[in-house]
Amino acid sequence: MRSRRTTVLWALGGLAIVAYTILPVLWIVSLSFKEGDDINNRKFFPSEWSLDNYRTVFDTSLFTSALRNSVGISLIATVASVVLATLAAYAIARLEFKGKRWVLSTALAIAMFPTVALVGPLFDMWRSLGIYDTWLGLIIPYMSFTLPLAIWTLSAFFREIPWEMEQAAQVDGATPWQAFRKVIVPLAAPGVATASILVFFFAWNDFVFGISLTATDRARPVPAALAFFTGESFFEQPTAAISAAAVIVTIPVIVLVLIFQRRIVAGLTSGAVKG
Amino acid sequence: MREAARPGGRRRPDRPRLLPAALALALGAGLVACGGAEGSTPTLTWYTNPDNGGQAALAEKCTEEADGRYRIEVSQLPADADSQREQLVRRLAANDSSIDIMSLDVVFVPEFAEAGFLRPFTDEEARPLVEDVLDGPLETTEWEGEVVAAPFWANTQLLWYRRSVAEEAGIDPAAEDVTWDDVIDAAVATGTTVEVTGARYEGYMVWITTLVASAGGEVLEDADAGRDAQPNLDSPAGRRAAEIIRRVAREAANPELSTAIEENARAGFQSDRGGFMVNWPYVYQAAQSAVDEGSLDQAVFDDIAWARVPRVDPDRESAPPLGGIDLGIGAFSDHPDLAVDAVACITDLESQVEYMLAEGNPGARAAVYDDPEVREAFPMADLIRDSIDTAVPRPRSSYYPDISAATVREFHPPRSVDPESTPADADRLIVDVLQDRELL
Amino acid sequence: MAATTTAGTAVADRRVGRARLSDRARGEQRLGWMLVAPAVAVMLLVTAYPLGRAVWLSLYSYRLTDPEGREFVGLRNYGVVLTDGLWWQTVFTTVVITVVTVAIELVIGFAFAMVMHRIVVGRGLVRTSILIPYGIITVVAAYAWQYAFALDSGFVNEWFGLDRSWFAGRWSALFVIIMAEVWKTTPFISLLLLAGLAQVPEDLQEAAKVDGATNWQRFTRVTVPNMKAAIMVALLFRTLDAYRIFDTIFIMTGGAEKTESVSFLTYRQTITRTALGLGSALSVLLFLSVVLIAFIYLKGFRTDLSRVRGE
Repeated sequence: MRSRRTTVLWALGGLAIVAYTILPVLWIVSLSFKEGDDINNRKFFPSEWSLDNYRTVFDTSLFTSALRNSVGISLIATVASVVLATLAAYAIARLEFKGKRWVLSTALAIAMFPTVALVGPLFDMWRSLGIYDTWLGLIIPYMSFTLPLAIWTLSAFFREIPWEMEQAAQVDGATPWQAFRKVIVPLAAPGVATASILVFFFAWNDFVFGISLTATDRARPVPAALAFFTGESFFEQPTAAISAAAVIVTIPVIVLVLIFQRRIVAGLTSGAVKG
Repeated sequence: MREAARPGGRRRPDRPRLLPAALALALGAGLVACGGAEGSTPTLTWYTNPDNGGQAALAEKCTEEADGRYRIEVSQLPADADSQREQLVRRLAANDSSIDIMSLDVVFVPEFAEAGFLRPFTDEEARPLVEDVLDGPLETTEWEGEVVAAPFWANTQLLWYRRSVAEEAGIDPAAEDVTWDDVIDAAVATGTTVEVTGARYEGYMVWITTLVASAGGEVLEDADAGRDAQPNLDSPAGRRAAEIIRRVAREAANPELSTAIEENARAGFQSDRGGFMVNWPYVYQAAQSAVDEGSLDQAVFDDIAWARVPRVDPDRESAPPLGGIDLGIGAFSDHPDLAVDAVACITDLESQVEYMLAEGNPGARAAVYDDPEVREAFPMADLIRDSIDTAVPRPRSSYYPDISAATVREFHPPRSVDPESTPADADRLIVDVLQDRELL
Repeated sequence: MAATTTAGTAVADRRVGRARLSDRARGEQRLGWMLVAPAVAVMLLVTAYPLGRAVWLSLYSYRLTDPEGREFVGLRNYGVVLTDGLWWQTVFTTVVITVVTVAIELVIGFAFAMVMHRIVVGRGLVRTSILIPYGIITVVAAYAWQYAFALDSGFVNEWFGLDRSWFAGRWSALFVIIMAEVWKTTPFISLLLLAGLAQVPEDLQEAAKVDGATNWQRFTRVTVPNMKAAIMVALLFRTLDAYRIFDTIFIMTGGAEKTESVSFLTYRQTITRTALGLGSALSVLLFLSVVLIAFIYLKGFRTDLSRVRGE
């Protein structure tokens, strides 16, 4: 009797959480289907559903090029960051070497870095290196700021991998490198997937670097581009168009969340608190 | 963000047209026009402030006229003037060669020129660019003895009033010696408002500088001294300007004055309480569109009249504000000579007429206002021309953005302005900010 | 079978000689650094050098648009910032946002973690939906909330029968900003707390129940003490993150109505005004304040970061 009641109570709590997470998303989705006077009628749902805003944003090179930049930059940064993090995390989890603690502390410190404090000098540096407003100019900072997260997540995963198998491989004549490649990599794949998603989320989400280190369609990512939208006339707010663009860039997030829910939860929790 | 920084003279009529579509069309047409010579035709990139496709249309026209020598491609900047400046500064600081031509708000010309971002025009190149240009915009083109920008269009503000209200109050705002005090008195007597732009943004600076200049003063004494310039708001003229702001804010303003930008002023003026307004000429076409859309009575529209901005002193001519866009050539452009040609085409008389008709932005050359179509679309064409001709630019300093932001910070909200202390405070803040002794 | 072979060989291996062991150790040493080096290099490239440059630039009075006017001013920029009311106002705003946000998140986050821990029906659904705010772009979340509260388009005024201009006043604007932040980042804190909850031994809970402890007593006496480490780590991360707030303010108010954060002020001086000298001094101070917060947590509250590293 009692346990049934508590089950229902917890389920109601769960319902509250779902409502909490979904309400603003529903709102922006509904706003993106509004058109004309509907936008300012202060109602939650449109009185008429219209696809116009989506047509508008896909017709705008500002958005389509930003989408291309975002996808490209985020994917490349993810792959590059996860590769480097995998190497580093393997070393941290498996090898004894001097300076290991220093590497971990550095990574931790960098994760806490206030990014805005860097964009000024970084801008200066990038323009003298000639990588201002390029994909590379965003990929590098994305890598730097996702490496700590990726390294923790991966080293936590790597610790769970059974020691003996690597040892066995080494005893069978494999070098540490071979042991790493043949034995650990397959076992580590789920951890790598998790780290990749977390890194991708970061790169996809970034705004500060996006607005400060780009200037044109060449490299400007979507979050930065949203702030550049203009209304149909000067004094009109581009509310609905921004909403449509916002919905489009939220779709990949939702898809990843749906597919990899378990991995993400595991990654977030194991990376931060050993559980 | 958008609210925070509406440009002074920037404005496009409320025609519901899709900018992206227009752009795509214009670009597509441009591509077709010179399809054959793709490979060998140099492309000039023109960074434009957003409009309803008027600049893209000019780019297309001039590409055709160039007959294969160059192709102009437009690249759009963000919506508000401050972000436009920010983008351009960042690109140019990175020595970007892709900026061939840029649409630059006239107030930013000194800063860009001082930083070496603008390629100066030779005397020979400059002659056709400044020929027949009205005095106001002409003043914005030069820096340290060189012409660094070509006037594309200019802007100014007028006093707009409701005929019925003026009659009721018994004043003739079109009379030569009408002052701000007269206008305020008339509004008070008739229970109407004097609509101005009092939000914390550039539009408020436009109003402040106009008042100071009309009172015979200057915000900066020696604007070209850069960071060592001396502000002079704490002067009889500055204090007089502060008095008028205080009076308007306390006696005759819309209650929302401290957040009012151009469109809020227009809405107030078109409402039942509307009596007087100082605003850019776009309001006339905007009111007309409102009538067409049915959101404004024809009777109200017919009641609207216009005059030069009021005087501060009865015996000193008023100094209307100056806005608008100049074209500059990027200092790092790979094709500066072609860019000069393109600028000449974009800013020639014909283009300026076209642009004024398409976008409602007044031309910078005097002859624009002789065009019959312009005269028909703008019944007050002569008044606009005269205002622009005698308009006084905002301080021509390479630190203008800081000067404006510092002034507005002290003068905001308008109700709190005190002639005894506000101008002095603003002077102090300007000096401190220029000398890096205070944050902004 | 494999296990015995391995064990046997390992013993043999160890017997072969200690001399080779140091070789191995050295090889491991080298391999370790080879594997870590690229990651460390990339991390330092974007942080150490720019930070050093910021320190150097902060000693000058220098505008990007007036290169000739550059002059060495020593530590004056720091004096200017630290005696400027605007700086302290933004610090105050940032601290208010940080404290309120983190406090609310801790409470809601705990509730969410409890629900996720105990829920039977719809567990997957809840865990999936809570990841949506976590994954969504901050800028997008900011727009969603801004439009929800906007005077012209928003449903909030309509729902609650108000006619309030939320972004026209400092505290109401901060309210919306905090709300958006809380919405977006509570999932993160609740997942960390969920991991902490899993560490609380179930038998302790049972024992307390047997002893007749109420739910609240069990929560305060058993649950919370046993997950102190998880709570502190979650708080540390969120505090540092909240203190750096930028995106939401940029989108919602652009810093108007005294809603500017330290990050926003820094951005405006360096990027918008291109006042690189003063702006760099702000960058350094922003960095130092983050270090100070971390220090307070690590030393003052004895937050155990070894759990973060998983050592």
